[in-house]
Amino acid sequence: MLTYEPGETVVHDLDPRSKLAVQIGFAATALAHTAPRALLGLSVVTAVVLALARVPLLRTLYAYRFALVILAVGPLVAAATLGPPWIDLEAGLATALASYRVLLILLVSAAYVRTTPVRESRAAIQRTIPGKPGQLLGIGVALVFRFLPVVQSDLRTIRDASAARLGTERSARERATTIGLLGLSRTFDRADRLSLALRARCFSWNPTLPALAFSRRDAPVLGIAVALLLTAFL
Amino acid sequence: MATEQNDVELVDGDVVHAFARAALLATLLGAVAPIAIPIPFSPAPITLQVLFVFLAGLLLGPLWGTVSILLYLAAGAIGLPVFAGMAGGLGVLVGDSAGYLWSYPLAACLIGLFVHRGTDLRDPAEISTALVVVALVTATVLIYGMGVGYMAWLLELELWEAITVGALWFVPGELLKIAAAVAIVESGRIDTV
Repeated sequence: MLTYEPGETVVHDLDPRSKLAVQIGFAATALAHTAPRALLGLSVVTAVVLALARVPLLRTLYAYRFALVILAVGPLVAAATLGPPWIDLEAGLATALASYRVLLILLVSAAYVRTTPVRESRAAIQRTIPGKPGQLLGIGVALVFRFLPVVQSDLRTIRDASAARLGTERSARERATTIGLLGLSRTFDRADRLSLALRARCFSWNPTLPALAFSRRDAPVLGIAVALLLTAFL
Repeated sequence: MATEQNDVELVDGDVVHAFARAALLATLLGAVAPIAIPIPFSPAPITLQVLFVFLAGLLLGPLWGTVSILLYLAAGAIGLPVFAGMAGGLGVLVGDSAGYLWSYPLAACLIGLFVHRGTDLRDPAEISTALVVVALVTATVLIYGMGVGYMAWLLELELWEAITVGALWFVPGELLKIAAAVAIVESGRIDTV
């Protein structure tokens, strides 16, 4: 699984907002180009980012295996044609190039995930999006992070209890209904207790924001982000 | 370090309640990502995420249902392992399945508007089954339309090719999720906000 890991790399030290900007710039230019030369350039950028952030390539590819299946099947489906000559290499190649840029986008975002703790991402959200929407989004993301293991464990309990009562022998519709109903009622119970706890602690629209500051190191990175974004229009 | 010296502006009780439910439903949506139930006659097992997108619209309404899904997408974007296959990262939100992910908030909003006709929520157990089914089928068409459309554009596939890769295998599972969502709201065991 791809998660944050503490480290000493340059990318770890950057402000999360510059890292987000680079990702957005990279994705924009990758979505705009599929020419082999452009993809070569993007591959070099990806390789540099992965090396700087010390992202293990194989483990990251494994983490994105579900997307990789579609990206691998796509060119095959595009190449297959009904009737002679049965294989259209040109269409297959076009889809293969288009799939490859998606892989690059995923790898660049993996560098962010690996080097940025959730609290910094939260701070970036709350400082970038103004007003109440930003507050709710930032706190909401922090709550998802906090409760994910709890809700996962709730779901495990429900599935184990169901399996112990031969629930796995039931029809798929019944299984989906059981997991949905029990999962939801447990989760809403938790939410109601959480809302009481939030109010007891004076949950407010204007809490002190988590600390975050651009350093001198961020300037070139922001420059690269803008440059990447501009190449999307080339 | 800079400090703020304003008065504390408390969040209303109703908003806190709805927000807590939206945040935890978003968590649930992420937590069910790894659960797959095999179904007969289809190589693709069903995952339950779309079921909870349906339930977000039905139980939280057009406003908070949408907020809930947006929280889910934001959590995934910053790298929490909430997308299919326990993946995360901003790249997934522009990757091959991005069309499906971005259709979720619209689908939840659409279902909420269909069923509740506004932001004042009605008890979904009292709404006619036909209306709920129509809302869910429309939302499913929206989800697959956006999902397949984006995939076809991104990977430069013909439309029918994208339908083969991204939709055909999942139709039986979708019918089953609609049935499950209807059964859950009609059980009346879950109250709205």
